[in-house]
Amino acid sequence: MGTSQPVLRVIQGGPTEDRRAFLREQYTKYGGSVLGRCRYLLKDAAKAEDAMHDVFARALTHAGDFRAEASPLTWLMKIATHHCLNQLRSERAGWRGWFAREEAARPEGHGGQESLETRDLVRRLLSKVDLETQAAVIHYHLDGMTLDEVAATLGRSVPTVRKRLERFAELGGEELKVP
Amino acid sequence: MSAHLSEHPTEWTLRRLHAGELPPAEATRARTHAADCQQCAAVLRQAEEAQRQFEAEHPFEPFAANVEKAAEKSRRQEQARSAGRQRWMGPVVALAATVLLVVAVRPLMATAPVSGVRTKGGAVAELRIGGGEGSQRVARTDAAEPLAPGERVRLGYTPDARKYVLALSVDAAGGVTPLYPEAGQSLPVETGAGTHWLPGSLEFTGAGAERVVVVLTDAPVMVEDASAAARQAFEASGRDVAKMPPLDVAGEQTHWMLLKP
Repeated sequence: MGTSQPVLRVIQGGPTEDRRAFLREQYTKYGGSVLGRCRYLLKDAAKAEDAMHDVFARALTHAGDFRAEASPLTWLMKIATHHCLNQLRSERAGWRGWFAREEAARPEGHGGQESLETRDLVRRLLSKVDLETQAAVIHYHLDGMTLDEVAATLGRSVPTVRKRLERFAELGGEELKVP
Repeated sequence: MSAHLSEHPTEWTLRRLHAGELPPAEATRARTHAADCQQCAAVLRQAEEAQRQFEAEHPFEPFAANVEKAAEKSRRQEQARSAGRQRWMGPVVALAATVLLVVAVRPLMATAPVSGVRTKGGAVAELRIGGGEGSQRVARTDAAEPLAPGERVRLGYTPDARKYVLALSVDAAGGVTPLYPEAGQSLPVETGAGTHWLPGSLEFTGAGAERVVVVLTDAPVMVEDASAAARQAFEASGRDVAKMPPLDVAGEQTHWMLLKP
């Protein structure tokens, strides 16, 4: 018939209940964390929700791999972070729009607490570095991962991650220094 | 830092504790520490509050429906990309398929009788099951057909006066998979008498039910349109793949219900 079908095609599918149970578990354990990450990076409620659905859809599609992960939270936050950073990069003037939203949200963001200030500072400086450094910075400064944990999450060596974080710290203040 | 729990566990360790994924011994140490440490208890409370607020703002049912939609969209995009790759690789893959079909598909067709389901017109479609330990058989359309492990499916048709053929499947969650072709528009039928077999064989993974549909038409049908009709039929059935009505597309169609092992 002149088509290019392979000899054997494997059609993926699964029982509804398994999918629902899987989603229910994702929802209960990780929903707040993933949505929080998407909101922090995208600063747009509708876009953040869409991104969250995309992240959990990916987990659903790769449920087998996901279940085998030692830390599903790490897997999800890595996917969510990359998804949002890529979205910002691919949107025309994405970062410019991001700064406009940042400015609009500024009065709410001033709590005076050190952690909040660090989060704000990180956010303002993110656009000045490359994608992988952005991911490393977020996992280190926001997620509170150790250098070892960031390195394992990104599949890089500890010295490489340290070097990226130190370069990032040069853009900001004392609170961004890596001990 | 999670190894030095006389000090504070890292925020990440506490968040993993909240998600319930720390090993038992580490979880006990972190929980014990947090019970006496305001700073760490505050991190846990923040995680709990974020989750509580999320659940209050986003009920589970719409959340699950939106995730399924996103998964379906991603699958369609992947199929479109795959179709693009196949167009590029077409001649090479088609040649390989021609050679391999002789070995892998012939056994499934060794005793192919003309049978199947006559739909509204004169066209006939047939779903043949084989490749497992049992003997080959033709799937019935009036009852669900259980598949044994390793069994594969081939689809055939006798077009009569129909000019185009298309096949797709719907799994128990409503996921639609275009089978023949994977993208573009329905395939022109082969001419000549007898049953014509669509190339290759199919293996369905997972568990539960899978509905397979073959549509024979006079005019070409876009795969996207047929897939959309299948999704509509699934929704119309109350999301029960066993109760799906015919797809809202012109032509003759044959449905089979397969029960995956």
